Amino acid sequence: MNLQTVNANVSRVPFFRFLNFEVQSLGALHAVAEMTFEPRHIGNPVMELYHGGIIASFMEAAAAIAVHPDFADVPAKPINLTVDYLRPAPKGPLYARANVTRKGKRIASVSVISWQISEEKPVAEGLYHFLLV
Amino acid sequence: MPDITKQKMEQIALMWNARGSGLITHMALEIEDVAIEGVRVRMPFNPDFCVDSDQTLLHGGILTALLDSVFGLANFVAIEGVSTMATLDLRVDYLRPARSRADVIVRAHCFRQTRHIAFNAGSISFDGHEDAEIARGTASFALTRGDISLFEAMTKGKAS
Repeated sequence: MNLQTVNANVSRVPFFRFLNFEVQSLGALHAVAEMTFEPRHIGNPVMELYHGGIIASFMEAAAAIAVHPDFADVPAKPINLTVDYLRPAPKGPLYARANVTRKGKRIASVSVISWQISEEKPVAEGLYHFLLV
Repeated sequence: MPDITKQKMEQIALMWNARGSGLITHMALEIEDVAIEGVRVRMPFNPDFCVDSDQTLLHGGILTALLDSVFGLANFVAIEGVSTMATLDLRVDYLRPARSRADVIVRAHCFRQTRHIAFNAGSISFDGHEDAEIARGTASFALTRGDISLFEAMTKGKAS
């Protein structure tokens, strides 16, 4: 699965265009993506911080791509998620790394970390489950 | 419990309208009901929030963002003297595929508040199908209390 094909799939999903991100690297069980800041991503207009829901959405998108990078129509089906918000995220690029912890026959567990300046200072951490059937 | 004053209602409306080009404005949220016991908000259908090319299936992430926003509103209404709040954690269960072009209805409330933390729960359904929830969520928020209210901070920031 090459990056060009994956990013072409990404660009066909309306909500992924709304988020405006690009997959930067992809492995058998991981994906890294970069999201470009847009004013529509703002949650706190005074401090110009990302909306927590946008961060969770971006992490969910990265997780779905790590689980199923060659989705033809719609991305992998999410079951649920838990997100820990660790730091405020001011305007600027946002990164997400999704690692598939376990991929069974029916269910996948994915751990995602999101950061801005350094991966050692994460903005948020999340666990996502997907249904594979 | 005291009723929400007219002044507070006006503040809430101002606060939401002061959000400029941010996500809440983009979601075009309409407050339908506010009470200390809970709030009800409507989000009109928006094809930008879909995952499929037919644009009938909402992405889970927008439901998560919706819950996060409406929890914030529920806290603003239910808790006196909040200066700022930040989402600490959020858990969302996607109960059904969100396939419809109907408006989305969110109900949320703050079920416990302490000096530093607020605990919230909420659910999402499509308008007219409120017995078939599409998502449910819980969250906790870190509160800072002070003289400068969230509303003042936002309107001052807007003016500067």
